Amino acid sequence: MVVWLGYAVLALVLWGITGVTQKLSTNRISSERSFLWFCWAMVALSAVVAGLARPHWGLAPLVVVCSVAGGALNGLGAWTSFRALESGGKASIVISLISLFPLLTVVLAIVFLHERLTWMQGAGAVAAIGAAILLSLEAPPKAEA
Amino acid sequence: MTEKAGGRKPPLWLLWSLVTIVLWGTWGLVSKIASDGVDAYVNQLLFTLGIAPLLVFVGWKVARQGPGPGETAGGRGRGVFWAFLTGILGGVGNMAYFEAMVKGGKASVVTPVTALFPMVTVLLALIFLKERLGRVQWIGLGLAFVAIYLLNA
Repeated sequence: MVVWLGYAVLALVLWGITGVTQKLSTNRISSERSFLWFCWAMVALSAVVAGLARPHWGLAPLVVVCSVAGGALNGLGAWTSFRALESGGKASIVISLISLFPLLTVVLAIVFLHERLTWMQGAGAVAAIGAAILLSLEAPPKAEA
Repeated sequence: MTEKAGGRKPPLWLLWSLVTIVLWGTWGLVSKIASDGVDAYVNQLLFTLGIAPLLVFVGWKVARQGPGPGETAGGRGRGVFWAFLTGILGGVGNMAYFEAMVKGGKASVVTPVTALFPMVTVLLALIFLKERLGRVQWIGLGLAFVAIYLLNA
């Protein structure tokens, strides 16, 4: 397995666990309070990571802007997804629709970063997005015995 | 009547969903650009800087609203614990996602792979929360494994 795929699978597993922990949280507190503590955890994690980080002067301004923008875009996206659910959208439809976001990343990466996908990678990306949508659909309620 | 003639407004949930797609879709692009110049640790520090204004805004809203309906002191403590754990796991996940790009993964491949995270969620929900999977989710799970195979080929 190539190294980058190992890290990608690690992210997938950790984010997958958050799907359960987030549900355990929002069963007890509001989604906004849950999001607030999610952000505080990010701050705590960064305090720990600060000891490991090797920041150096001379970072390209574009890189700094993109890193900061990454946090802002990720956080805002989480907040707008909560708003979509609170605005009356069915969870199965909203989450499935939002699962299309990698499609935009693929298009942006091809247009702006000139990334090229092999036939297999292209098919894999399409299959991954399709799988994410199918997995996000809620199972029908259990029939009464 | 004139309102009908003017057409229907799109529902608010659809607009918020589309905004989310744009925000998260663009996040993948900027992460790849940033991965050319910083490591995952420095990126995490800058990432948190980006989330800080939202933390202040949501903190202000939560303080103004007070406890939500049905929130108890005990339940709030446990809810906060799970939210905090979500943040830690999510943050380490972000670092792994970023490191995948630092190690040469393309944004157009890494992002669809990591977006498969619901497969882990449904498996955990199946095992620990005793939730039931529908036929569509089982197909999604199978398709997820096919996707990983194709992307690794």
